[in-house]
Amino acid sequence: MDFNFLKQKRILLVDDEQELLDMVSSIFADEGFCNLRMAKTMKEALCISEIFQPELAILDVMLPDGNGFDLMKQLKNTSDYPVLFLTACGEDDDKFLGFGLGADDYIVKPFLPKELIYRVNAILRRSYKGENPIVKLSGSLIDFDCAEVIKNGKHIALTAKEHDILAVLYRNAGRIVTIDALCEAAWGDNPFGYENYLMAHIRRIREKIEINPSQPVSLVTIKGLGYKLLLEDK
Amino acid sequence: MKSVPKLIKRFVGILMLSSFLILVINFTALATIAATQAPNGSPWKTAEQAVESIEKSEQGYIMSDKMIEELNFHNVWALYLDNTTGKCVWYSDNLPDTVPLEYTFSDIASVTRGYIDGYPTFTGAGENGLIILGYPKDSYWKHMWPSWDYQFIANLPKTVLVVLTLNILVIFLIYIIANTKLLKSVKPIADGIQTLSTGQPVVLKEKGLLSEISANINQTSEVLQSQNYQLKKKETARANWIAGVSHDIRTPLSMVMGYASQLENNKQLPAEERQKAGVIVKQSQRIKNLINDLNLASKLEYNMQPIHIEQINIISTVRQVVVDFINLDIDGKYPIEWLTDSDLNTFIIKADKDLIKRAVSNLIQNSINHNADGCTIYVTIKECNKRCNIIVSDNGVGATDKQINKLNNSPHYMVCDENTSEQCHGLGLLIVKQIAAAHQGTIEIRHSEYGGFEVKICLPS
Repeated sequence: MDFNFLKQKRILLVDDEQELLDMVSSIFADEGFCNLRMAKTMKEALCISEIFQPELAILDVMLPDGNGFDLMKQLKNTSDYPVLFLTACGEDDDKFLGFGLGADDYIVKPFLPKELIYRVNAILRRSYKGENPIVKLSGSLIDFDCAEVIKNGKHIALTAKEHDILAVLYRNAGRIVTIDALCEAAWGDNPFGYENYLMAHIRRIREKIEINPSQPVSLVTIKGLGYKLLLEDK
Repeated sequence: MKSVPKLIKRFVGILMLSSFLILVINFTALATIAATQAPNGSPWKTAEQAVESIEKSEQGYIMSDKMIEELNFHNVWALYLDNTTGKCVWYSDNLPDTVPLEYTFSDIASVTRGYIDGYPTFTGAGENGLIILGYPKDSYWKHMWPSWDYQFIANLPKTVLVVLTLNILVIFLIYIIANTKLLKSVKPIADGIQTLSTGQPVVLKEKGLLSEISANINQTSEVLQSQNYQLKKKETARANWIAGVSHDIRTPLSMVMGYASQLENNKQLPAEERQKAGVIVKQSQRIKNLINDLNLASKLEYNMQPIHIEQINIISTVRQVVVDFINLDIDGKYPIEWLTDSDLNTFIIKADKDLIKRAVSNLIQNSINHNADGCTIYVTIKECNKRCNIIVSDNGVGATDKQINKLNNSPHYMVCDENTSEQCHGLGLLIVKQIAAAHQGTIEIRHSEYGGFEVKICLPS
């Protein structure tokens, strides 16, 4: 999958330590992100965001003139874009507060550059997925916008549940998604006892996307744990 | 508070026993006194003896000298009536002038029952006549109408029993009323002592019979509270200090890790330098894990970690942890096998989801850390005797019996209160132990059937 368009996204980085700003910007630069602005205080951040119009903000919690949670509220007032916290406050309560206020992710320092990039990519992909609706598998294409599969030139419609399940698998493409996470995506919270329904849905999805549904290559089972969607170019 | 009813029981028992004993003693004493009194004191008997001692002679009737002596000794007068005439045929020398010498039937009836001129009189029937003995005034009291309703006498045992029972009841009632007052003042004290043992503050009213004891309990409670407070303050300070240090290390360590990682991936650098940078990254990560562990371990130890117990599906929780590890293990060096029964998809227990996740990932991470050459990790969840067993084992290098014994039995250096110079091991297992304890569970460390190390977490469901 080509995610290069995501590298053009405007990213705002707020932290009170210059050294950390330098390091993070060099990490982003290495990965090819080129639209990056930095701020060291809340005031500066609000100022920059007005002109810069960021599409993703990475915030520290402790700032000299306030805290990141308040900053996020004010940033989100002007326009709704994803926010990721990158902070030394590792307490669960801080995390819950952050997520409760609508943060998209929460990384506790210290972190590996790879982890940061991975999470930023994931958030961007999730938030701006509408721009890349067609997914290529080994035997078919999935068009999430139209909720249909294109196999051998034929258009096959997906049901709502199949679409939900595939969407979760696609967001985590190449990684195992647990049975529980899939049930939750399809049937909501506390989805106990839906394992057999899930198996039935997976079977039907395979009939739509696989060339040979009894020997799946795109949607594989990890016994006892969950399922994994493999994309064509991975 | 179980002891108070026991106390009451015992008191009542003693009371009943003592009242019963007193009754028995009284009856015995009464019976003894009455028995000794009856033969000696009965003037009726004397009258009978007197009448027998009277003999008819030619000069008239004569009483034996011995009897006269005895009567005189007791200051008793006597007269003898003839059966047919009702006239006195003999009288003693000391007969008072006021006593008549002739008697009608009705006189005799009243004499038998009562007195002559204030002298208590007693009669004895002889062959030809009747003797009347007159005792000194105020020496005897006579029951003038000695007759009762027959039913009354027939029911006497029953009546006595009823009266006795009523008596006992009345005593019991008095006792209860008196004691409830005492117990009322004892109860708050007993409650207070009980509360004291749970470590909660106690404030008793310093009033009534036992106010001194109440005051002492209040003082003890204050002392305990202040000691607890001091201890808690110290522990909080310690946990805060550890939390502060780990917070402050995070930002500098981020930079070490970040730049080292960049250097590691910089293709312009020689391979050797990149390798060195890689070591820095790896060691920084170790420090990072240590900080996280240290913080959590100290919080769990000092009860500062908030524990959010809720109903969770343990299968889905552990499954997520396992999948996260598999997703991260890009090289496939540490395959994880899910050995839980495939029919067991839901197993609800009461637990803190994040802590359970932490415990399981610590165990998996432990297997990875100790097997640098890779190993297979086996994760199983079983229901056993209504308890939930989470078993993480591997086929790696394992541990010796001695090491396993030590891990199972000796305290970790962090929570050990003695000076220790032993080589320290990580905090991973300690945290697992603490998390299990926070859920009233246990852990068991042993050899794995696959040849490596195995830890079983046993949680109540």
